[in-house]
Amino acid sequence: MENEEQLSGEESLALITTMIQKAKHSYYESGTSVLLWGSLVTIASLLTFLQQAFSFSIGFDIWIIMLIAIIPQIFISIRESKNRKFKSHTDNAICAVWLTYGITLAGLVLYHNIITHVTAANIQNEGWTLVKHYTGNSQPDETIKPFVPGLFSLYLLLFAMPTLITGIVKKFRPMLIGAIIAYILFILSLFTPYKYDMLFGAATAISCWLIPGIILRKRFYRQKHSDV
Amino acid sequence: MFKELDPILHSQLRLAIISLLISVQEAEFTFIKEKTNATAGNLIVQLNKLKDAGYIEISKQFRDNYTQTTCKITRVGIDAFEQYVKDLQAYLNTGK
Repeated sequence: MENEEQLSGEESLALITTMIQKAKHSYYESGTSVLLWGSLVTIASLLTFLQQAFSFSIGFDIWIIMLIAIIPQIFISIRESKNRKFKSHTDNAICAVWLTYGITLAGLVLYHNIITHVTAANIQNEGWTLVKHYTGNSQPDETIKPFVPGLFSLYLLLFAMPTLITGIVKKFRPMLIGAIIAYILFILSLFTPYKYDMLFGAATAISCWLIPGIILRKRFYRQKHSDV
Repeated sequence: MFKELDPILHSQLRLAIISLLISVQEAEFTFIKEKTNATAGNLIVQLNKLKDAGYIEISKQFRDNYTQTTCKITRVGIDAFEQYVKDLQAYLNTGK
């Protein structure tokens, strides 16, 4: 592009439009992070569902992979930040949303893991116990540990939140659809037996992150090739 | 009667740079070069003219053995661009 070329009014407007369009159609989201988390949540949810449905155990808590995945995520974030050639107006806001989501999710996991133990200790200190009593005395009473009913529904609700915001702000339809599916599954999970929650979790991860991640990845490679 | 178009912006490459920078929060030199198809030398000259006019900020930082140049439009640049578009519209309407 030369500089001192004389521009007519129409040419100026056309140039402004072209450059704004060029910026608008520049993507740098490789989809790696979305694919990583989408795959992991899908695998962990499905495995948990299968273990519950077919009464077997893999010998460890599969959700531990979420903690391990933080390490590659840090490397991915550093690499993407280095390769990023521009920052859009919405990048900081989107980053803040996902950071808040991560902290809230960690908080919910902490709540889930701590509150039942603390409640059990409190109950014990107060000198009473929770008992599962079968109506009609069909089976003998069982002492049970405190639990939070239908907690996974809250996870589904939480999964939808950053996905919906990203979909709206970035005008990225696959995430918008993913978030809507997550909200529908959240409502369904309120009325269905707990054993299906993990299946809903897998479906949410696939629709919110895995499919949008694959679409982002394809788009990223298409852009990369067109830039060569 | 219409206002004369801002001479800083009424040039092909500088207008392209500002149009690009108004669409993003900040952009690297390589990104601007790629999108404008300008030569590095020409681009540097025009970026400096925009910087001298106070329309953009240029920051340099050392990263992985190379200098990374990042450009960002300033408030003055945004106002100038908006005024340019208004004047351009007035100019085009007068011509009809």
